[in-house]
Amino acid sequence: MKLINKFILIYLVVTVIVLGIGGYISFFVIKGELDNELKWRFMDRIDRVTYLLEKGKDFKSEKLKGSGDRNLIIQQLPQKVAPETVIKDTMVWHDRLQQMEPNLKVSAYRTVEDTSYFISTYGALVETDDITEAVIQILLWILGLQVIGAIGVGFIVSGRLFKPFRETLARIKRFNIQDREPILAKETSVEEFNDLNRFVEEMTRKAVKDYKNLKEFAENASHELQTPLSITKGKLELLTETDLTPEQYQYVEASQRSIKKLSRLSESLALLTKIENHEFTNKDKVNVTNLIRESTQAFEEFIKLNGLQVETDLEEEVFLQIHPVLADIMWTNLFQNAIKHNIENGRIRITLANDRLEISNTGKPLDMDTNVLFKRFKKADHGVDSIGLGLSIIEQIVDQNNYAISYDYEDGWHTINVRFHPESV
Amino acid sequence: MKLLIIEDNEDLLQNIRTYLKREGYICEFARDYRVAFDKVMSYTYDVVLIDIMIPGGSGLQVLRELKSVNPQTGTIIISAKNALDDKVKGLELGADDYITKPFQLPELHARIKAVNRRNQRDGREIINVNEIAINTDTMEVTVNGTAVDLTPKEYDLILYFASNKNHVLSKQTIAEHLWGDYVDHLTNLDFVYQHIKNLRKKLEKAGAQNYIESVYGIGYKFKVNNRP
Repeated sequence: MKLINKFILIYLVVTVIVLGIGGYISFFVIKGELDNELKWRFMDRIDRVTYLLEKGKDFKSEKLKGSGDRNLIIQQLPQKVAPETVIKDTMVWHDRLQQMEPNLKVSAYRTVEDTSYFISTYGALVETDDITEAVIQILLWILGLQVIGAIGVGFIVSGRLFKPFRETLARIKRFNIQDREPILAKETSVEEFNDLNRFVEEMTRKAVKDYKNLKEFAENASHELQTPLSITKGKLELLTETDLTPEQYQYVEASQRSIKKLSRLSESLALLTKIENHEFTNKDKVNVTNLIRESTQAFEEFIKLNGLQVETDLEEEVFLQIHPVLADIMWTNLFQNAIKHNIENGRIRITLANDRLEISNTGKPLDMDTNVLFKRFKKADHGVDSIGLGLSIIEQIVDQNNYAISYDYEDGWHTINVRFHPESV
Repeated sequence: MKLLIIEDNEDLLQNIRTYLKREGYICEFARDYRVAFDKVMSYTYDVVLIDIMIPGGSGLQVLRELKSVNPQTGTIIISAKNALDDKVKGLELGADDYITKPFQLPELHARIKAVNRRNQRDGREIINVNEIAINTDTMEVTVNGTAVDLTPKEYDLILYFASNKNHVLSKQTIAEHLWGDYVDHLTNLDFVYQHIKNLRKKLEKAGAQNYIESVYGIGYKFKVNNRP
């Protein structure tokens, strides 16, 4: 939900609550006022009747003639009663509406020249329903205006006021650490936005600097390692040129192999770092069908030497948007894995479709937790002279391209499945 | 052949010099940018080996300057970085080859020879080892004038041997030369033996001597007594 929508929603929820409470209060205030008004009018009337009685007016006759108020009752009492005023609500039958209506009745006892009178008057109260209706109507109008106002203000706020914020957001989205360009703060008239922009600038500057350092470190570490390895390798080669016993030769050969492994390890780690540093983001259209076809040809000799049989089921013209080097590394690693962890006279099955790549090979079941298969240095086959980074590299590439990878073992077949559009499944 | 080795690491320099000296090459060396610059500007070399990271500047800069004065000089970049962009940049600047540390001395030697061959345009594309002649232009091998039908891998192998005569070449070295990094994924190097056996058979059938000598079952040596 957009910030502005959320803001409007909260504003409207609060408005509805406030209007509800306000309506409730309004109802009682209005009702109270109206009732009071009626009460005061009746009291006034009683006072007037009392006044007229004091003046000696005879209500009886007039009352009988019906010229007066039908709702006014004046009764002369046989004994003297202390003056008292009683106000109460009653229900009175309404002829025209044919129903009981709430009425206010004011009764008073008054003594005029030693004669006590009972004066009572009543009249219809304004109905509660009517007040409620009026209040609700008013509140709906107010609510309507509030909604229009809130949306109007929302548009202005999101359009004008939040413009610098949205710009900053867009620049953060566009930010690519490989460009090594920090997001420079732009001056705005809002202090909070200035703070944000300055913070973003500082942060991206630091990120760019750290990235540079990391990249340099990874490269330097690889470089620094390769030179001494190179020297050792050369020295061992020179050593083989001297007179050595077969035993000594074997030692030299073993050292050579270890050096080779060390060198590969450092290269693979450097590669992994590079992928993690997002150094391969320039995507290109890669024809995976051709890639697989060509590399299976390049590996043909090894396949034959290992006595393997390769079955392929490739869909024609499968294209992926991926860095060409990454596509190559991913495939080569997958394929080499299938060769390396195979059995004598084993088989490899490759299936390529528009949305997935599946490579299966015959092999012994893994004696390890397959959940950590893609972790670094997790080797399923300790006997094989591998460094345990191949699958990590594959996973890193898969991750970076938003593919999904899974591993399965069934009936002597290891299967690795890469889905190119996992979100659409 | 006159070589210039631009390399700041003393041990590495010694390795290369020791290996190449036996071939009777004249090896000069430069340990930093300034010396390297002076040398490439003042003298001409057949092949220059350039390490990218050298004190005082970049090997790529030396390459650029060398190519501006002596474009015909063969150049090989030695780099610790297996970085594609460095490789591309180096080759774009006119380097003839690119070798990544840690390299093998026989491999470096084979490449120096190949680069030198390419740059000599006076009919020296034929390498003679007594009765064997290797035409690097047409990729044909003849023994006493009779053509020998070799597979591409076997051709690579004989060329590699001829480039590293009288050196012990281990199975690992040979495998890496023929198959590059693919070798990493093979535990068994017996297939090297298969290729050598086939090559030996073909050469002997064509009437050549058996120059390929097994060394303690560890590696092989292309033994030629009288150098041409």
